[in-house]
Amino acid sequence: MIGAMAAARPSQTAVPRDIGFFEWFFDPDTWTGPDGILASLVDTVVLCAAVTLVAVAVSVPTAALLAHLRRAEVSSTWLVSISRAVPTFAIAALLVPWSLERGWGFEPWPIFIALFLLAVVPIYLNTYTAIRQQPEGTVEAARALGYSERSILTKVEFALASSLILAGIRVAAIQVVATEPIRAFLGGDGLGRYVRDGFGQNNNTLVIGGIVLIGGLAALTGLTFVALERLVLPNGVRRLARQQGDKTP
Amino acid sequence: MTTPKTRRVVRLLAPLAVLGLVTAACGSDDDGSNDTEPASTEAADSTEPATSDMTDGEMADGPTIQVRGQDFSESITIAEVYGQYLEAEGYPVEILTAAGFRPDNLNGVENGDFNLIIDYIGGVQAALAPDAPASADADEIVATITEPIEAIGATLLDYSPAIDGDAFIVRGDSEASTISDVAGLDYVLGASAQCAERPQCLIGLEDPDIYGITFADFVTLEYGPLLGEALANNEVDAIVWNDTAPQIAEQGFKVLDDDKGIFPAQNIAPIISTEVLEAYGDQLAADLNELSAMITTDDLLAWNTETDIEFRESDEVATEWLEAKGLL
Repeated sequence: MIGAMAAARPSQTAVPRDIGFFEWFFDPDTWTGPDGILASLVDTVVLCAAVTLVAVAVSVPTAALLAHLRRAEVSSTWLVSISRAVPTFAIAALLVPWSLERGWGFEPWPIFIALFLLAVVPIYLNTYTAIRQQPEGTVEAARALGYSERSILTKVEFALASSLILAGIRVAAIQVVATEPIRAFLGGDGLGRYVRDGFGQNNNTLVIGGIVLIGGLAALTGLTFVALERLVLPNGVRRLARQQGDKTP
Repeated sequence: MTTPKTRRVVRLLAPLAVLGLVTAACGSDDDGSNDTEPASTEAADSTEPATSDMTDGEMADGPTIQVRGQDFSESITIAEVYGQYLEAEGYPVEILTAAGFRPDNLNGVENGDFNLIIDYIGGVQAALAPDAPASADADEIVATITEPIEAIGATLLDYSPAIDGDAFIVRGDSEASTISDVAGLDYVLGASAQCAERPQCLIGLEDPDIYGITFADFVTLEYGPLLGEALANNEVDAIVWNDTAPQIAEQGFKVLDDDKGIFPAQNIAPIISTEVLEAYGDQLAADLNELSAMITTDDLLAWNTETDIEFRESDEVATEWLEAKGLL
């Protein structure tokens, strides 16, 4: 009974030190249960998706509107970029005591805020630049056709810029997935736990397993966005991009 | 005839020549120090007997002693103390930036990346002789780890009376006073990843033949102040940390009595590459043993208070201690 309860103990990975990578990776027990890879994967994917979505919801409208109005070009770009100068790990680590004091626990706020600041940068910059650089003539033509300012922004500028905006979101999502594992070193879990536990227990199989999983998820995230771009980009924009020899699908 | 070209070459070479002269001068200073040795005579006059000083000049010729601590403040300060001490004794020393934990340090010594570490004997036993019985008696532990340490090409020197034992720590308002009392309390335990695979830690705590505690949850935390913060802020109800952590007194934590004796003796002891040790003969071992004998558990606690509570630099703390002991 006690043995069974010990086996159900969450949040810890302890495997024999000399276990081979394939033996570990392809053991069904490695994947299932509260300790398994699947549970950690869900942890990681949920956090990364939430961070990326919030970053998109905040940055894309702000950047699009400011770019359309030609406002705050230097100041906002500078402000966003400078947040990138502080390492994500440092931001998260500094926020941990702050979060604990308020009784909010290790997760999710410190890591969420740190990853959010990481994700905002490429999304904001790509959106702003893409909309700012739409040809003046196109915008004027739309205005001459009687488009309202709102329609110019959403139906002309935004549509034409959508390829670059999505590229920014893709870069942000991949960076978030690749950086998220630091939460394992700050009282959290997720896929980074395999790297953390592997280091702590001098078990290279776990470290390699963690790297493979994190790298695999980052690659998969990139592929998902390629598929997404095929689905959501307007046909005209895709055709235009192809004609210009762009690699965008 | 000095053409512009040769003059330029001369100008380029001049600094090299000066450098050569300086180096030569330094070299002859070293040779001369065997006869005159003004610095060490001075040291001999001071409070410390400093038995090793007579041979300083010869010893400087050996391989550089590279010492590295583990990546937590106490270990960093200990590495600074040993490194600065050896430097003052006239050995060529390099104090490396602390990195990693025990496994990295043992691997580093085995691979020759550096050659001196100061570790806790009980922890070394868990790493190198995991099947040997843990013991609260330092000599019993030394007997089980001497051979495995030789197997990685290193030598264990005398252990210090200074002990940084593992400790099962709870908040001051806990009703438990021994670890056995925790069995019925459904606590959440926070500890490092290493703890989970050690019989001297989580495995022993959960083993029905020893403590048989069932924890409500186990939270893996990086070894260090994060553990104290998690306990102070009710994220966990108990942690396995070290009993020289100054946060224990500062936060009013309570160290529970290890009534079944699973935590091994954790005296600090230098582990040095055998090659380097032999290059210097018996003198180096004697010097290191002399230092180890002077460090006490109270010193460790004092150092940790300086570095973790007052946020002072480890190297300054080490220098001050060595000066106070008349070793610098």
